[in-house]
Amino acid sequence: MRRLCFLVLLPLALQAQTAAERLFVDTVQPLLKQQCLGCHGEGYTFADLDLTSRENALRGGKRGPAIVPGDPDASLLVQAVEFSGDLKMPPGGADKQLAAVAISAVRDWIAAGAPYASGERQQTWDYVEEDLWAFRPVRRVAPPSENVDPSAVQTPVDNFILSTLAEHDLAPGPRADKTTLIRRITYDLTGLPPTPHGVAAFLADDSHGAYKKVVERLLDSPAYGERWGRHWLDVVRYADTGGYSNDFERPNAWRYRDYVIRSFNEDKPYDRFILEQVAGDELWPASPDGAIATGFLRTGPWEHTGMSVAAETRQMFLDDVAHSVGTAFLGLTVGCARCHDHKFDPIPTKDYYSLQAVFASTAFARRPLAFAAQESLAGFDSGKARLAALIAQLEQRVDALHDVARQRAAKDKGAAYAARARTGELQRYLAGDEAETLKLVRKQLSMHEESVQRYDPLAFTVSSGLVDDWNDIGPGGAASYLKGVDYREIETHVLVGGDVQAPGDRVEPGALSAVEHYSGYPSPQIPSDIEGRRAALAKWIANPQNPLTARVMVNRIWQYHFGRALADNANNMGKMGKKPSHPELLDWLAGFFIDQNWSVKAVHRVIVLSEAYQRSTQHPDRQVQEKDPTNLYLGRFSPRRLEAEELRDAILAVSGELSPLRGGPGTYPQINSDVARQPRHAMGTLRPAYQPSPAKADRNRRSIYSFQQRSLIDPLIESFNGATVDLSCERRESSTVPTQAFALLNSEFSHDMALAMAARLERQADTADAQIELAFRLAFNRAPTPDELSAASAHVARMQARHEQHSAAPRPADEPVIHEISSELTGESYSFQQVESTVEYEQNLHPSEASPHTRALAALTLALLNANEFVYVY
Amino acid sequence: MLTASPSRRDLLYGLGMGLGTAALTAIGAEEQARAGVLSAKPGHLEAKAKRCIFLLMEGGPSHIDTFDPKPRLNDLHMTEFAKERTKFEASMNTGKRYFVRSPFDFHHAGKSGIEINSLFESFSNCADDVCFYRGLQAQSVNHPTALYHLNSGNRFGGDPAIGSWVSYGLGTENENLPSFVVLPDLAYPQGGAANWSNGFLPAYYQGTPLRSQGAPVLDMNPPAYVALEEQRANLDFLGALNSGHQQRHPEHDELAARIESYELAFRMQSEMPEAIDIDSEPEATKALYGIGGLNKDADAIGRRCLLARRLIERGVRFVQVIVGGWDSHDYIERAHGARIRAVDKPIGALLKDLKRTGLLDDTLVVCSGEFGRSPDNGIRGGDKAWGRDHNATAMACWLAGGGVRAGEIVGATDETGREAVEIAHPINDFHVTLLHLLGLDDSRLTYFAQGRNKQLSQTGGELIRELLA
Repeated sequence: MRRLCFLVLLPLALQAQTAAERLFVDTVQPLLKQQCLGCHGEGYTFADLDLTSRENALRGGKRGPAIVPGDPDASLLVQAVEFSGDLKMPPGGADKQLAAVAISAVRDWIAAGAPYASGERQQTWDYVEEDLWAFRPVRRVAPPSENVDPSAVQTPVDNFILSTLAEHDLAPGPRADKTTLIRRITYDLTGLPPTPHGVAAFLADDSHGAYKKVVERLLDSPAYGERWGRHWLDVVRYADTGGYSNDFERPNAWRYRDYVIRSFNEDKPYDRFILEQVAGDELWPASPDGAIATGFLRTGPWEHTGMSVAAETRQMFLDDVAHSVGTAFLGLTVGCARCHDHKFDPIPTKDYYSLQAVFASTAFARRPLAFAAQESLAGFDSGKARLAALIAQLEQRVDALHDVARQRAAKDKGAAYAARARTGELQRYLAGDEAETLKLVRKQLSMHEESVQRYDPLAFTVSSGLVDDWNDIGPGGAASYLKGVDYREIETHVLVGGDVQAPGDRVEPGALSAVEHYSGYPSPQIPSDIEGRRAALAKWIANPQNPLTARVMVNRIWQYHFGRALADNANNMGKMGKKPSHPELLDWLAGFFIDQNWSVKAVHRVIVLSEAYQRSTQHPDRQVQEKDPTNLYLGRFSPRRLEAEELRDAILAVSGELSPLRGGPGTYPQINSDVARQPRHAMGTLRPAYQPSPAKADRNRRSIYSFQQRSLIDPLIESFNGATVDLSCERRESSTVPTQAFALLNSEFSHDMALAMAARLERQADTADAQIELAFRLAFNRAPTPDELSAASAHVARMQARHEQHSAAPRPADEPVIHEISSELTGESYSFQQVESTVEYEQNLHPSEASPHTRALAALTLALLNANEFVYVY
Repeated sequence: MLTASPSRRDLLYGLGMGLGTAALTAIGAEEQARAGVLSAKPGHLEAKAKRCIFLLMEGGPSHIDTFDPKPRLNDLHMTEFAKERTKFEASMNTGKRYFVRSPFDFHHAGKSGIEINSLFESFSNCADDVCFYRGLQAQSVNHPTALYHLNSGNRFGGDPAIGSWVSYGLGTENENLPSFVVLPDLAYPQGGAANWSNGFLPAYYQGTPLRSQGAPVLDMNPPAYVALEEQRANLDFLGALNSGHQQRHPEHDELAARIESYELAFRMQSEMPEAIDIDSEPEATKALYGIGGLNKDADAIGRRCLLARRLIERGVRFVQVIVGGWDSHDYIERAHGARIRAVDKPIGALLKDLKRTGLLDDTLVVCSGEFGRSPDNGIRGGDKAWGRDHNATAMACWLAGGGVRAGEIVGATDETGREAVEIAHPINDFHVTLLHLLGLDDSRLTYFAQGRNKQLSQTGGELIRELLA
């Protein structure tokens, strides 16, 4: 059969025209887009042919009409794709010829009249029900009881899981042992290992509610918000810098990070959490959290410099914020509709720009806002002193260079001229390297002067319309940005092809029309005024009737507990996202979430107290691995590798080095020293060298408090699949790569922490065996087996014998950081000794200062920190 | 072995492994963990080029002062450059502007007779192997966005670099070395490591920067105070711990891969020093690359070009050499002059060396800036310090090697060099063409991310046939 006839496959009830339109949208339009429009319509119209609209296709190009409706044989398009005439398309020879099924689709479509279908038209018929589930109202389903053994039910979650297992002829496995369970739940809820004391207390507690008590204790711990706040920061791509060339600090962004942690710890109702992040400034102008939370709208990378076009950087923000809101709260990839109607989901381009119009009146603001009692000012004094010292040193360098220039200017044009000459004039009297140094020092000063504002009571936020005193477009490009952007001009147009220079139809602020269309939940009335747009959108999102909002969040929560979401693309509930494995459970959880006043902790409880969550990773039925290889139906629990931050925090915790400080501006952890000393560009000059925080209490804090620099990720975090910083991170990868082995086994950090852990063992346990036992209890939450104990003792003894013969070389002296760059002024390499902190560095314990026994124990602890049992959770 | 063998896996579980065997014995886990991930695989198309060296000239080298001379500028020199003002203008490009002639002399090179800046001596001898492409156009005049665009197809960053895509498409021919290696200047370029990011592709495909100071690969070796035998003893102990644990968790199939990753790391540790040992090269070869000469910038760049050759010889799929310092807003005679003197020998030697060893037949060599420079300048440098601003519509670019039309000039810019006007193509077409030369079809080299199948060219592109042999 040369021609598959597509049309007869469709229900007869559909009118022929609609069927042809569907064929267009499902098959022909993607084909045109992929194979034709690159040269004939989008950007180029080679041979004057434009296939983007029916009208233009009928008019055709140099060779005449491309399409003759109703007559495929007479249509040039068909001849070209069939290679039956002299014109053969797409170009590239036989390799490139379209598949036979694609060609017959084109034929059938032309035979049926070659209709093009508009976005609005598509919405009425284009989508099959199974792709629309997330747009349908949340169903209020009762937990199933058929095929469910009530004694195996701990929470209603179990009804759903057991019922689905039964459907697939699978039996649930047994419960995990208590040691496994407390390790699992502690990492899950706090991102930290359980303490030996916590494990012992749980094992000793035989009461019925022992596990529940642990869960409540963990949910009440401030570490809970640090763990679950980190998940949210993944979604919103939190960073402390703006990215791109200068990657300037966003000096007050940390207040948003702390706000997120605080919100999770307080169990802030999720609807309120949404309202605050999208429109807190409009809804609660007097509340500090309102202004801090809208920092969410500015978490994406953004920069405006003298090389930027203001209209483009403005558009960059608008695209970013529309995409970000769609992804974070609605679980939709609305960004796909920027250039064309969404190919897979019912999101026409018009809706995308309507959503964007909500933010058209949103201006960047840096707003005075006193620190609230619940905000942490940890590290303010030491941080300020450190920056002040750096600034003073750099200012001295500027003065010295100006003096040199002034002396030369005085010789050249007299003392009077030299005295009043400004920087630009003085610069002419500096030789190549001197000029390069001045440029560098001034750039670094501008960076530090930006950074020092992190201690000022300011909020990194937005305002509706430009508010003079709050105006903030970041350092560097202020004047040119504001010249190019007029916040009174807030009319929004569809941009053809996403191009800011090609405005099309005007749109009004709005939300996604598909939601009303498929769920009946009405679209919001969004004012066209400068104020109130975001508030109206936020209320529309944070509403029990919105079919997406609650589903998206409970799906994320589920994912972080089980390693896989119920609908397993947490950022994409549309057609291209994976379909829910347990659709009723997802809806039940969404309803439950809403009924519990959007309490995230209530959702945690109903999940982690379920039997399903407490199951062992091992299943007695060996066939279960074959019947459900990916554990989709949760007859067992899936092991997981620690996430990057958990791993670093766990290493700090078990070595006894974890700092208890919470909140405040980001601090600088000990990172690989080659990376720390790596010269890095900032707009043609060198940025300051990375310097770890001098005090252990600062640099050994939990990873969520590490300063998140877009252009410099801690290589330990990066190699263990840390979050992407520019795009929303839907789920952490856990692929195993050799750089992880290098980082964990060889890095100075690992060796330092292993040694610190050894010293801790000696402090806390007297005998050699007791030290080894404590090491196992800290790292693995269990005692060593007799075999392990004897192997470990032998290893420590062997290493001690060796170290008694070989002392460690002393700590190498600090070398100055000398950085080199190709100068754009001379075209030659230029080097600069970086200005470094004058605050004394609190050293980690070094092997040369440790006894042979401590060093030998450190060999043991290093192995434990590298062991699979440490790195995986069961 | 392409698929995991259950029997071998069972064997691994069943073995009562003693001290030291688990971490240090390759036992099928590698195949299991990485089959189809990094192992070499055929491309979509027949292609001559099997690997690529991408010479990225960062900062925006001037086409007008290198390979695309514009005598017309001699007439226009210091006359005002009038242009329409639009609201789509960077502040850099505002203010009074003047045409600036090139301060350089040009000589004819090769059969095509292309005029090249006379400071290129060694490279000019390679003109018959090179295809000079004057039609390439970028879209951004902002360094980091233009670099992201050239390197990943996406101006805003976050997408995989071209080297990651090629590694994903073709795998590597030496699993003991990274498949995508980056040789940056001492200073990382604008936009930093995102220029060689794996984006949404799995982490295996991330570019590995080999650093010219410090350890070439981060933490490849333990701290100096750890003796090799201590390391070995520790690994043996770790192996024992891991094997006991693995026996307790037969249900967990990632364990073997993680044990194997330590093994792989140590193979890399042993192979890398030889691969990067430039000193083992004959003195004459080193001298050809400018190594050990008086020009210390040429020495540094020469080392990286020679290293690029050594790496592709050993099966690395994609090597990117980054040479910065081309952003000559002022003093272009001095600054571009020094840059050209620094890259001439290294790049000339690389091409000659590849040709001598036959590697040029199946290696694609690409050289490009992230954008070109303007025929005009603001008054910033004054009349004593001529320079040029950024220009996205024309740039300096050439290709050589497998599958490339050698010894020709393709495309043309207008009489002042302001804009490419013949065979002009955007970056996405260039990407499609580079992949094609390497046997990959951009429309088939896709990965599902962010709701759709993504590709290097973003939404497809056109093959630039004129560049093909």
